[in-house]
Amino acid sequence: MAFTELSFFVFAACLVLFYYLLPAKMQWIVLLTGSVIFYVSYGAEKLPFLLAAAGIAWWAALRMEKIRPDGPESRALARKKQKKVLLGAGALLVLLLLYAKVGTWVIQSFAALLRLDADSVPQAILALGVSYYTFSMLGYLADVYYGKEKAETNFLRFLLFAIYFPKILQGPISRHKFLAPQLKETHRFCYEAFCFGFQLMLWGYFKKLVIADRLAMLVNYVFDNVETQTGAHLLMAACFSAVQLYCDFSGCMDIAGGFSQILGLKLEPNFNHPFFSRSAAEFWRRWHITLGTWFKDYVYMPLAISPRVIRISKKVRETCGARAGKAVMTVLPLSVVWVLTGLWHSTEWNYVVWGVYWGTLIICANVFAPELKKLTGFLHINTKTESWKIFQMVRTFFLFVVGRILTVPGTLHGSAEVFKKIFFDFQPGSLFDGSVYSLELDRANFHLALVCIFVLWAVSMLQEKKPVRQRLAESNVVFRWAAWYALLFSIVIFGVYGPEFSAAAFVYMNF
Amino acid sequence: MEEKVLALLTSEFPDIDFTASDALVDDGILDSLTITGIIAALSMEFNITIPYEEIIEENFNSVAGLARMVQKLSNV
Repeated sequence: MAFTELSFFVFAACLVLFYYLLPAKMQWIVLLTGSVIFYVSYGAEKLPFLLAAAGIAWWAALRMEKIRPDGPESRALARKKQKKVLLGAGALLVLLLLYAKVGTWVIQSFAALLRLDADSVPQAILALGVSYYTFSMLGYLADVYYGKEKAETNFLRFLLFAIYFPKILQGPISRHKFLAPQLKETHRFCYEAFCFGFQLMLWGYFKKLVIADRLAMLVNYVFDNVETQTGAHLLMAACFSAVQLYCDFSGCMDIAGGFSQILGLKLEPNFNHPFFSRSAAEFWRRWHITLGTWFKDYVYMPLAISPRVIRISKKVRETCGARAGKAVMTVLPLSVVWVLTGLWHSTEWNYVVWGVYWGTLIICANVFAPELKKLTGFLHINTKTESWKIFQMVRTFFLFVVGRILTVPGTLHGSAEVFKKIFFDFQPGSLFDGSVYSLELDRANFHLALVCIFVLWAVSMLQEKKPVRQRLAESNVVFRWAAWYALLFSIVIFGVYGPEFSAAAFVYMNF
Repeated sequence: MEEKVLALLTSEFPDIDFTASDALVDDGILDSLTITGIIAALSMEFNITIPYEEIIEENFNSVAGLARMVQKLSNV
């Protein structure tokens, strides 16, 4: 029951009806039931993993809270016990995540060792959304351990936080303290929230069905046939794949966020116009925000301020100077964070290299900031001008495109082939000789994609200044309705769906 | 204590005006990299360990908040 399937619309409509028509105190039960139905629609065999993870996190948090020191001398002992529970439960959750990530590979490796027929060996069950819910639960456990959060006593309430269906497939990686209180409150139907939520969903469907799935046809075709493509076609497809991924992922977030708004709930924002970023670091503060914040709070910070890292930094400072000492504080934790970020996406080598690539960019920009500042001064670049800002945005976009080339072909060898073609077989003329219309998108669809990307850019520019839905709500009634009807009909008419198409699965569901 | 902390931070991070705001974190003046740098500088200078629990906006939003935290951890 993907967000793009007809069955989802029927399900969503029924859920909203039950949610608002039944007594308000039943709302959380309606949501829990609906979320379980939604999750089970992807396969009942996936549910036990989620139940197990939720059970572990719920029990461990309660256990940690029950360990209370009786006096000052027992405080250290209690902390030790709490740490044991945290580490034990955390290890189990990580094991579950590892099973989903590398389970099939491990089973097949054993099968090969035992010389069993690969086809007869069962595959690991893909526990849907495991990367998102395990991270949410690990964060919850850490917050309870550090006293920043109270443990939930009701298991079913905790299960609802874990399985709440709009965010289970692709996030956001919700914080318990952000979402759980909202799930406990009762919500009255609000016409304005209903309209705003529905409009956000429409915008999400536009991004997903009209832009992302249209571009996906070209991108998949080009990267499936690298050997017959020119470098120019490959670079164009890589640029389109960057926009495709953004529209796919942020479109899903808009649908999830919009539906939540209809229910009177708010999800954490996961995107903030990342393509307007002027540096790699800023890009990652605007792209997949909840993953970045999770790594910042639960990996980067504890590592960077650990006495061991501070001791190393102090030693380096004494021997090599203050700047080198500071650099240690940046390089060590950020290296760990970026390798883990790569592994979170996939355990394939190309994602490890992708993580190292982003980590290197961010670390270098930070460590060599004084030199870069001197260089811009030496070159007499006025960093206050609009043209410099635009250059920085374009540069950041192409840094992202390079990252896409590292992952889209699927293997490092494939990525190397793409880079080779771009650098040594570019053939810029192939962009203008009409051959781009033979890459799965005909002339009309190709131009439509470009127009829609322009619309996306224009709306994003407006959103940077003031929310577009608010602007439209304040505009005159004719223009307002015309705009929303245009959006609705553009999805109906130009959306990539229907009997001859199958809407592509959301990309981030695979992670 | 407040003067000591301010002097240390100004020498470590000359580009940042720590007196400009009482909401250094909320206003985006301090990012996570700067916060870890501040923690390292305070830990080394005052010979304290700043635990994760202390990394809250209240402690990092102003020099006064940082000074209070250092004072508290020095007394432990």
